[in-house]
Amino acid sequence: MGLSSIFDHMIRRPIRATGQSAVKTGATTTKKREVKEGASFYLEYIRKDKLALTGAIIIGAFMVFALLEGIMQELASVLKQPSLGWRFLPTNPLALTFNLQFEPPSLARFPANILGTNYEGQSILSRILYATPHDATASVIVVGSAILIGMFLGTASGYFGGWIDEIMMRLTDAFLALPALVLAIAVAVLIGGGFTALLYALMIIWWPTYARFFRAQALTLRNKGYVEAAKLNGSSSLKILVRHIIPNSVDPIIAYATLDMGTVILTYAGLAFLGIGVSSGYPEWGAESAAGLQFFPLQWWYSIMPGVVIAVIVIAFTLIGDRLQDLIGGRTTY
Amino acid sequence: MVSNFGLFLTRRAINAVITIILLLALVFALLHILVPSPQAMARIITGNPRASPGALAAIIKANDLDAPVYVQFFRYVSQIFHGDLGTDTIYHVPEIQIMKEYLPITLELVVIGQIIGVLIGLYTGAIAAANRNRAPDYGMKALYLTTWSAPVFLVGFVMQLVVAYWLNLLPATGVVNPTLPPPAAVTGAPLSDALIAGNWVYFWSALQHLILPAFAIAVVGFGLVTRIGRASMIDALDRDYVKLAYMKGLSKGKVVWGTAFRNAMIPIITLVALLFAFSVGGAVIIEDVFAYHGMGYFTVQAIYNDDYPAILAFTVITGIAVILANFVADILYAMADPRVRLT
Repeated sequence: MGLSSIFDHMIRRPIRATGQSAVKTGATTTKKREVKEGASFYLEYIRKDKLALTGAIIIGAFMVFALLEGIMQELASVLKQPSLGWRFLPTNPLALTFNLQFEPPSLARFPANILGTNYEGQSILSRILYATPHDATASVIVVGSAILIGMFLGTASGYFGGWIDEIMMRLTDAFLALPALVLAIAVAVLIGGGFTALLYALMIIWWPTYARFFRAQALTLRNKGYVEAAKLNGSSSLKILVRHIIPNSVDPIIAYATLDMGTVILTYAGLAFLGIGVSSGYPEWGAESAAGLQFFPLQWWYSIMPGVVIAVIVIAFTLIGDRLQDLIGGRTTY
Repeated sequence: MVSNFGLFLTRRAINAVITIILLLALVFALLHILVPSPQAMARIITGNPRASPGALAAIIKANDLDAPVYVQFFRYVSQIFHGDLGTDTIYHVPEIQIMKEYLPITLELVVIGQIIGVLIGLYTGAIAAANRNRAPDYGMKALYLTTWSAPVFLVGFVMQLVVAYWLNLLPATGVVNPTLPPPAAVTGAPLSDALIAGNWVYFWSALQHLILPAFAIAVVGFGLVTRIGRASMIDALDRDYVKLAYMKGLSKGKVVWGTAFRNAMIPIITLVALLFAFSVGGAVIIEDVFAYHGMGYFTVQAIYNDDYPAILAFTVITGIAVILANFVADILYAMADPRVRLT
């Protein structure tokens, strides 16, 4: 009962093929064998849904831009030419131009003004674009590390069972009793300021859900015929885990991980809104919104526009994740 | 049956206490891994980054910070169980006193927001399930995916902008009109205190101030209830007793709301506990946006002031509140569905 049952409830669903689709594909196997795995299958599946495709395009653009922008910012700091950092942006996001102060969102000076300008007269669009590398890094690194740590701890505890499992599960209970935001505040404040500290804090707190996922997977998989066969074959536990259990438990995690990348961006924005992990001279999305709080509601776009951008990115992640979850839950079939 | 329920209750209670101790162990371990040296820990306790070595040594001695880790841990756990959460570095009073003042305000906000959120979630979930794969279903999905994905502060800002500033219907910030004399503090929460004292002017003002932040919490959280409620409702609608109800000639509304809905509600009880944790986290930002002076607002001030004992006290209190909420949800679940008592 409790949290654990919810997570188990969320996981224990047939993977990919439902009875219906199995029948359907069974009829067509002779003609054309459907490949039901691999990146190309997932991409093809997403492409068939307009909303998910929109989400994928938004996320693709976001990630590619964040990568380019991140490389440019690195180059700028290495070559000591700050202007490289905003080569791709409509305006300089850090320069003070008070004569352009508080211009409402408009099509004038396109595209710099579409989200308006802030107190310092900087284009809000430029500042948001300038901060994309941080949010993209946070979402990828935090979810990636959570999958790795969760995979290691969860699979081991589910496969071996016994007291290791008992301790692991109670530990994840304790972690999950705290809201991510609250725990992240406590850890980030202790580690100290800055983006890296915040990343570490999020990495420390993010893995327990994934440990639960992988544990549930390992519990069902360890009784499968092929695992028994491998055991009878004399394979070591490590080999069974690496060759059989882990590869077969990753698929259902993908949908959740996609949704979760959005959650990481939300939590990150929330922390930045509270002023945690913010360094001066770097416009974090959440911090931008918080900066507008004192000019609210007269210059409403200052605090609302960054929030809208965050919402759009997270909705895009949600659309993809939701689509993938349909696939894994077997609710939609082709 | 009674003894069976008693056994279940005892087991859950023991489980909750163990989880609380593990939570304390977690906070303690994080604290000691991230702040390994006694001097640094003493600095955190004083809240003075430039404290003299003599002052630090006194604090280390007073708090046994150089004792072995397990001694410190037992000391920490016993302190917490005695209600000692440390001393605030800004107000120089015990944290528990501050928590007593602010916690009821936040709890009232979160509980009311949660109730609104669950009601919205159940209603939208049932509508979506009853119209599976038709327009209302997709409409509900679009609605909850959007609110679910929006950052908490954006929801707060938009509600403030539209309801408080453009329509001018409700006050945008604050807990209550500060010019009103407060009623005698019984629970510490403004709405319930005014209700107990029968002070309707104060009650009306507190209610007006509560509506926006409570709805913000509800809007951010209801999506999960809609989603799970829809799935559980679809499950219930496929059952034989629902088909029987249709066969008996009951109208669709009666079947959906009278027969299926009650059974579909059972999984929601556990979900509410999960949502509670989420809402308490969201309340920190909501209280900051609406200047609603509860525990979240206090914590944000503590972050700005580098008031570590306050942040740690808030973390521990939140964790314990969530574990207790889980415990209550387990009991309610067992009451609603007697089958779980056997496990």
